[in-house]
Amino acid sequence: MKLTTEDKLSLLAGSAKYDVSCSSSGSENNYKTGELGCAHNSGICHSFTSDGRCVSLLKVLLTNVCIYDCAYCINRVSNDTPRTAFTPRELADLTINFYKRNYIEGLFLSSGIIKNEDHTMSLLLQTLRILRHEYRFNGYIHVKLIPGASKELIEEATLLAHRVSSNIELPSSKSLALLAPDKTKEKLLSPLKHARDISLQRSAKPISMSTQMIIGATSESDFEILKLSSALYEKALLKRVYYSAYIAVNNHKHLPVPELSKPPLLREHRLYQADWLLRFYGFSYDEILSENQNLDIQFDPKTFWALSNLHLFPIDVNHAPQEILVRIPGIGIRGTLKILQARRFKKLCFEDLVQLKISLKKARYFIIAGKDFHRSSSLYTEKIKLALIHQGANIIQPTLFDTSIYTGEL
Amino acid sequence: MILLYDGSFEGFLSLVYEVYYEKLQVNSIVKKMPESLLFERFHEVFTDEAKARKVLEAISKHFTKEQQRTLINIVLCDSRAYEMALLEYLRIGFKNQKELRNITNASLFFIQNLEKELLCLVHKMYGFTRFEELEDGTLYAKIETKFNIVPFLGEHFCKRLGNIPFIIHDVKRSLAFVKNDELREIRLIAAFDAPIFSSEEEKFKALWKSFFKAAAVESRYNPKLQQSWVPLLYRTYMSEFQV
Repeated sequence: MKLTTEDKLSLLAGSAKYDVSCSSSGSENNYKTGELGCAHNSGICHSFTSDGRCVSLLKVLLTNVCIYDCAYCINRVSNDTPRTAFTPRELADLTINFYKRNYIEGLFLSSGIIKNEDHTMSLLLQTLRILRHEYRFNGYIHVKLIPGASKELIEEATLLAHRVSSNIELPSSKSLALLAPDKTKEKLLSPLKHARDISLQRSAKPISMSTQMIIGATSESDFEILKLSSALYEKALLKRVYYSAYIAVNNHKHLPVPELSKPPLLREHRLYQADWLLRFYGFSYDEILSENQNLDIQFDPKTFWALSNLHLFPIDVNHAPQEILVRIPGIGIRGTLKILQARRFKKLCFEDLVQLKISLKKARYFIIAGKDFHRSSSLYTEKIKLALIHQGANIIQPTLFDTSIYTGEL
Repeated sequence: MILLYDGSFEGFLSLVYEVYYEKLQVNSIVKKMPESLLFERFHEVFTDEAKARKVLEAISKHFTKEQQRTLINIVLCDSRAYEMALLEYLRIGFKNQKELRNITNASLFFIQNLEKELLCLVHKMYGFTRFEELEDGTLYAKIETKFNIVPFLGEHFCKRLGNIPFIIHDVKRSLAFVKNDELREIRLIAAFDAPIFSSEEEKFKALWKSFFKAAAVESRYNPKLQQSWVPLLYRTYMSEFQV
């Protein structure tokens, strides 16, 4: 049976959607007169699907044929699903036509393993070559490095793409052995290390890379996950770690049963909040959690940290430096910037903060502003906890409003 | 005193001139004659190019490039009553440059927030603008936005679309950014014939729709979150939301 382009696109986009990475940010403006496409430093979201996730890139697989049998994956060889493939030319044309109409910011290209690793990687590169050399396309391209592909191919990928990535999939070697017998941690990390090293030889700034971990399929604690992320950030290996709440698509003896399990969305949300604390707020992983602990469900990680470190509070908003201000629960990067700007002109009180549209809902328990501080619940953990819980059920509601600092509005 | 002006940038500058040179006490500034006047003194400002130029010169002398940028950005927020705050902004700026960063002043905070709101909208529309290909290969986009952001979009898409000619049509304001081999400008559009689309347009629209549908994860279905990212008012010209 011959599939139409539309069927192929549905199938291959449907197989790629479990990859959560979608960002198109962090690239310099690379505009060239008369050429098509240009990256935008803050990234641009072009639409949002009915699950509330953004569409920034044309995220597809080149093929969903795969020789591997990873338990959690929808495309594993033992699954009986229809298989198809784009030709590199077809996919390049589609990208250009979508880009022209401003549907997308660029291409996110991944693939199942067809024949072998090198063959797959060279098909991906062929698509990129058509886009870059033939169409002179400068828009954003994110390509997956196929673990096990040769070094020359990986080098070429770092030359053609804005961002490369390889998914760690599971946070420990033990879980990998259990669920993805064809992959080892070394094999998954080696293309990233190699890509960093060769791009560092070319310029001082390594190519930007990301990875993804599946959350909730195996038994690792949040502590282990954050420890791993922070190690990856520190070695300048990665720009981003993505966390993907496990969505059961297969039956497997080591996995949650599809019919009975819901994706752990709140846990995923808490991990992202903690990840933001690592990257933008100057926290270290062992401040956020202690050995083998999981993130609190009721309170966000910053509030939780503050409640267990009450000896550091209250903080005087009129004098505390920037790095201390960002640690106040309920006050983010924007709020901090506003406070820093405003307090040069005036000693701030609670009313001034409200005027500046800084929410005091959480913050009021942790700050002093001029003569103002919260009198009715003194600094005891239990009292503040109760007060925070009583003021509204929406404290634990997962919204991703925190991402606004990443959408370029700052 | 109530001041009436024509709503244009030149008109506003003429107004500033009169406020300064005739020492007017301003209580409010309106673009349209109010229906009833209650004992309030009323004065109509006529746009005067010479006066406007004089004020503009003073502004370029006293304000930094960035602040002038802010000024122009605020004027683009044409659906808001920004006039009183902007007048205050100019007053403070002429008196003391440094004071302009004082966001504990309500007018200055209003200006800062309004500019942020504009830039937010611009950023959103960088993503949500949709082009359709016409018969001759020109890309054509219709937009309807609360502020006038055509200049921003024009500049943005000039960078990305290479040599492809394009038109961005602000339907409500009857403005269009037109770019082709010969020209690159914003012009007023009185009437516009229904365009003829290229033969491939429907095909790519259908492909985009099926991609959009396939990219959603069913078990994470969350239309409320979707709507908070793309409120309904942005969806008018986004083909993926049309049934």
